[in-house]
Amino acid sequence: MNEGYNKARPLVLHIDLNSCFATVEQQARPRLRGRPVAIVNRRTEHTMIVTASYEAKAMGVKLGMSLKDAKKLCPDLVGLESDPPKYKYVYHQLMRIMNDYSAYVRMKSIDEGVIDFSETTAAMAGRDLAEIGYEIKQRLWDEVGCAMNCNVGIATNRFLAKTAASLHKPNGLDVITHENLRQVFSSLELTDLTGIAGQFEKRLNAVGIFTPLQFLDADPVVLKKMVFKSITGLEWHQRLRGWEVDKRDFPIRTAGRQYVLDKYKMPRHEVLQRLHHLCEETGSKVRSQGLVARGVSVHARSYSDTGRGWGGTFWHARSMASVPFFSNQAIYEQARKLFESAPVFVKEIGVSCYELSEPDDSQLHLFGDELARDQAITSAVDEINARYGKRVIHSADTLVTKMMREKIPFGSTRYM
Amino acid sequence: MNDETFLDERVDVVATFGTGLNPCVPVKLRRANGREITVTEIGLRHPTMQGKRMVHMFDVTDGGADYRLEFDSERLTWTLKLEADHS
Repeated sequence: MNEGYNKARPLVLHIDLNSCFATVEQQARPRLRGRPVAIVNRRTEHTMIVTASYEAKAMGVKLGMSLKDAKKLCPDLVGLESDPPKYKYVYHQLMRIMNDYSAYVRMKSIDEGVIDFSETTAAMAGRDLAEIGYEIKQRLWDEVGCAMNCNVGIATNRFLAKTAASLHKPNGLDVITHENLRQVFSSLELTDLTGIAGQFEKRLNAVGIFTPLQFLDADPVVLKKMVFKSITGLEWHQRLRGWEVDKRDFPIRTAGRQYVLDKYKMPRHEVLQRLHHLCEETGSKVRSQGLVARGVSVHARSYSDTGRGWGGTFWHARSMASVPFFSNQAIYEQARKLFESAPVFVKEIGVSCYELSEPDDSQLHLFGDELARDQAITSAVDEINARYGKRVIHSADTLVTKMMREKIPFGSTRYM
Repeated sequence: MNDETFLDERVDVVATFGTGLNPCVPVKLRRANGREITVTEIGLRHPTMQGKRMVHMFDVTDGGADYRLEFDSERLTWTLKLEADHS
């Protein structure tokens, strides 16, 4: 374990698109530039805001607020339904630009990515990284549009680079080194640090840590044994000092989708149709990664006592199958059985597959013709849908759901 | 929500095809009712796949309203998909 600060040259560059979805809409619709804009996933007043432009944020509009409440704060707010293909295009443009500088690019989500110059050519790493940061900003303006801005952070590890990218929004560029680390931390709150919120903040407070500087100076043994109660404590000790502990990729563990129902007290057969639809999308996700699943998990959230708003009871159930499966029908059959014990009236449902793995053909042979037939039909349907468009072939049961335009893929960029 | 009208209207378009990052530039469109709209700015052009068929979406404005044009690169047709007035 490294005790001191990492004094190496900062070679990790983090790029974060500012209020990404709102900015892309302002780019696409010039008349919205400079105006408060909120992006929602559905064209209703009660839907939650997923992104707000800086103009809207300045008026007090926050993510998670309902559009109706936001309009009370900001009457001129323009609410737009999300348009994922547009955001995916900008994501791919940003990735293309970043790939011009290094082969070691990792996109962390749809609106942020990291370039690790420690693994690139000497000629590229020899350049001033701040200069590269400004160059990327300029290319984003030139190659995507003049309304596009990004924040750039440069540091010795991914954590500090992301922290640097959040210091001066919008459109900032900051470098954190061992020399200014304490000064930067003195201007931040604990919850400004990525990964510290809610429970972890309480645990840190319980041992007398209330500021990032106190966190930085904390004894690693205290962090390990009293705060995080695992090796995570030692990782935080290293992370805060600029040593890299986050350079790793995680394998896909689950795939799924959830959906907030489009009307209150929906009859059970209509809920099941929507569950079926979710199972089809989940199956498609699993197969797109070349995987098979062993388990299905379903969840539902029932209404709160008042009948509106969040809250209510969370219900979930899961089951493991004896053999791996991959078809929509297999997923739906298990999900439907599990759903028999779900609350009567629900407002949100979700399904996911877990225990994902590469298909083991020798196992498939054991179950012979039936699995082979299932695989052939599923592959044929997937191929037709890939050629002629999503859901050209789908179950008749889901014909009437009319749900689910593609939604913003938060988090993982695997399906982009 | 916002004042948006979703359409699926075939339109005549005058466009230039040149070089550079944005080689295709719609300049003017004529709607089915004969109304002509002059494009003053292209906000964003993004390609999107409809199955194996690629269409290009152009978000444009004439300064008074925003429009979305769809160019089908296989059929070589232009369709007006959206008119939005944010005023």
